[in-house]
Amino acid sequence: MLLFRGNIWDRGLSPEQLQKVVSDWMAWFEGLKEQGKCTGGHPLEREGKLVSGKQGRNVADGPFAESKEAIGGYFYLQVADENEAIEIAKQCPGLEYGAVVEVRPVADVCSIKQRAEEFSVGQLAGATA
Amino acid sequence: MNRTNQTGEYMLLFRGTDWHKKLSPEDLEHAMDKVMAWFESLKEQGKIKAGQPLGAEGRTVSGRNGRTVADGPFAESKEAVGGYLLLQVDNLDEATTMAKSNPMLEYGIAIEVRPVLEKCPAFQHAKGQLLSKAAA
Repeated sequence: MLLFRGNIWDRGLSPEQLQKVVSDWMAWFEGLKEQGKCTGGHPLEREGKLVSGKQGRNVADGPFAESKEAIGGYFYLQVADENEAIEIAKQCPGLEYGAVVEVRPVADVCSIKQRAEEFSVGQLAGATA
Repeated sequence: MNRTNQTGEYMLLFRGTDWHKKLSPEDLEHAMDKVMAWFESLKEQGKIKAGQPLGAEGRTVSGRNGRTVADGPFAESKEAVGGYLLLQVDNLDEATTMAKSNPMLEYGIAIEVRPVLEKCPAFQHAKGQLLSKAAA
């Protein structure tokens, strides 16, 4: 999964630059889709909610309005390995203007669940030992 | 506020990857059971389009032509995204209500609820600027 971070990098651009980066980005996305490398992707709206606290008692308007860290969208890739994903990330047209792309492997099983299961197995082993 | 978007898709981003570190094995197992039950129930209701945990490792690519490739700073932090769910629901309120019912909140994670867009806001911005320039 590619997570695009930063949603203010487009602010300083001239209309022409902005138009170019946007059409480059669309061409990049369409190209990856045609090659079967990208199976989905969407921009995310700037506003949203941040839910936290026990039983979700805190619901705040998202702090992601304008920041370098905020996630602005994602691509879902189907590739052979991490290196291929990184090579694709390097082609992102927004990089030149300060966008940051986070490349994350998608896990089959949640690592925390795995850890919980290992504990149970360990306990069973301990009980029978 | 009861906004809707065109896609009806909302993304939940689970933030915080170290919430489980302080739990005992029993508490962890209990927490995981609750999380799985929560997930299965949403799935049965047909509210989930996609969802996966993300591996803790990863890379951050930045700079012109991606010249800087760093190990992600997201191994263990409160901000790191540990996984996502793509929901198909009526509006932001429904998505937020679902987020609120997640059992992991009790252990300190935060959930970002984001409407999924059909078109990129930067694209709209570019179009608007060009139009106003053409009109001037």
